[in-house]
Amino acid sequence: MPRITIVSALLLVFGLAAAGSAQAVDVEKTFKFYCAQCHGLDGKGKGPNVTKDFATTPRNFTDPKEMNKLTDGDIKTAIKDGGPAVSKSELMPPWGKTLTDEEIDALVGYIRKLCQCKGKQG
Amino acid sequence: MRLASTVSLAAAMLLVASAGQADPAAGEKLFTGKNCNGCHYTQGPAQEKTIDDQLAKKGPELWYAGSKFQKAWLKGWLADPKPIRPLKYNSLTEKNPGNHPKLSAADAGAVTDYLMTLTTPEVKKGAAGKGKKLKGKLVFMKKMPCKGCHQYPKRKKVLGGLSGPSLVGASKRLNPDWIYAYMMKPKVFKPVKMMPVFTGILNEVDVKNVTTFIGKFK
Ligand code: HEC
Ligand code: HEC
Ligand code: HEC
Repeated sequence: MPRITIVSALLLVFGLAAAGSAQAVDVEKTFKFYCAQCHGLDGKGKGPNVTKDFATTPRNFTDPKEMNKLTDGDIKTAIKDGGPAVSKSELMPPWGKTLTDEEIDALVGYIRKLCQCKGKQG
Repeated sequence: MRLASTVSLAAAMLLVASAGQADPAAGEKLFTGKNCNGCHYTQGPAQEKTIDDQLAKKGPELWYAGSKFQKAWLKGWLADPKPIRPLKYNSLTEKNPGNHPKLSAADAGAVTDYLMTLTTPEVKKGAAGKGKKLKGKLVFMKKMPCKGCHQYPKRKKVLGGLSGPSLVGASKRLNPDWIYAYMMKPKVFKPVKMMPVFTGILNEVDVKNVTTFIGKFK
């Protein structure tokens, strides 16, 4: 009996880990495909589009000081409706017609992982 | 004498006529023979469903080439290809190596005749209409992030981002009716791409205006 519990507990843990990593792989792929062209593959804001005439540096997602100023809601609005929706540069595109709500929520989580910060609450 | 010159005149006319004649079948043979279809698919509708599908492609799809390109540009480019996308296809880190296969002028003509037959009814002749160039400029330069991903000409300079195809020379390369359809029906042409979907964000008039603006890029 105890052995079965241990085995099933292990199974459960592995199952969750596998589900978790499948999810992580997907959002990482989404980020690298759509966002890295400006924010960089590492999220530091230095993608290939950021040439010398790129007027506004894309946010560095690994900078907790900057990223802590934003709530999860701010991040979501910026992704969905673009920079101008949060009084930022129009160079940040609106992705609301490209990505689903689930994909955008996953990206918010991914960005929070990059900054290792929780952000402003609210 | 009289007869001879008539005959040679007729022969000359025949020669001219056959040189100007389109031969899509020969072009299609060349297209497969030179393994162009190893990197380009020519059968619509769009096949990409996921990011992986898009990333697996070695070159842009050509199933609507006849609706997208201007014939004279296509013929010239196939004989003397110059980079269109600043970065290597599907890469964010490498530059376009500029090593596209090159065709002889005659082969380029035949392949162009074939590619120009690959049209789609989704592109309607005259659909782009006449937009307002200055309003289109506002969309491209100020309201929307277009310039963040596309190179564009400004006087003698080339400015703009690198992840999208360069729009320098769009006035010679692209059919404005295709640009309009591409913006209005993104799922038809490009279900999965790095460019955001703008339908529902830009209306028909905005798209006509920005098409007119791009359509004048030298
Ligand atoms: C065309 C370039 C470009 C692309 C592509 C892009 N961004 Fe941005 N992004 C920017 C720029 C520029 C800023 C900075 C705006 C400012 O500070 O005014 C920014 C800022 C942001 C911000 C911070 C907004 C704020 O309020 O400070 C978030 C969050 C963000 N981007 C998320 C994303 C995500 C997620 C993607 C992919 C789905 C993405 N971006 C794709 C250019 C881009
Ligand atoms: C090894 C893969 C490969 C082969 C083989 C190849 N192409 Fe391409 N082709 C590409 C890539 C990559 C591009 C994009 C080039 C650029 O942006 O500069 C391209 C671009 C094109 C374009 C312009 C498409 C657009 O949307 O800009 C045409 C037309 C074209 N190729 C025709 C051909 C023909 C005809 C052949 C055969 C002679 C051929 N290609 C062989 C990879 C290939
Ligand atoms: C985040 C980057 C990005 C933004 C912003 C963007 N584009 Fe694009 N665009 C691309 C990419 C990448 C492609 C090529 C897609 C493909 O073929 O896979 C493209 C393709 C195009 C094409 C077709 C070019 C060709 O030769 O195939 C046109 C026209 C175009 N974009 C216009 C626009 C306009 C107008 C805007 C602004 C309203 C805009 N783009 C904003 C990245 C972008």
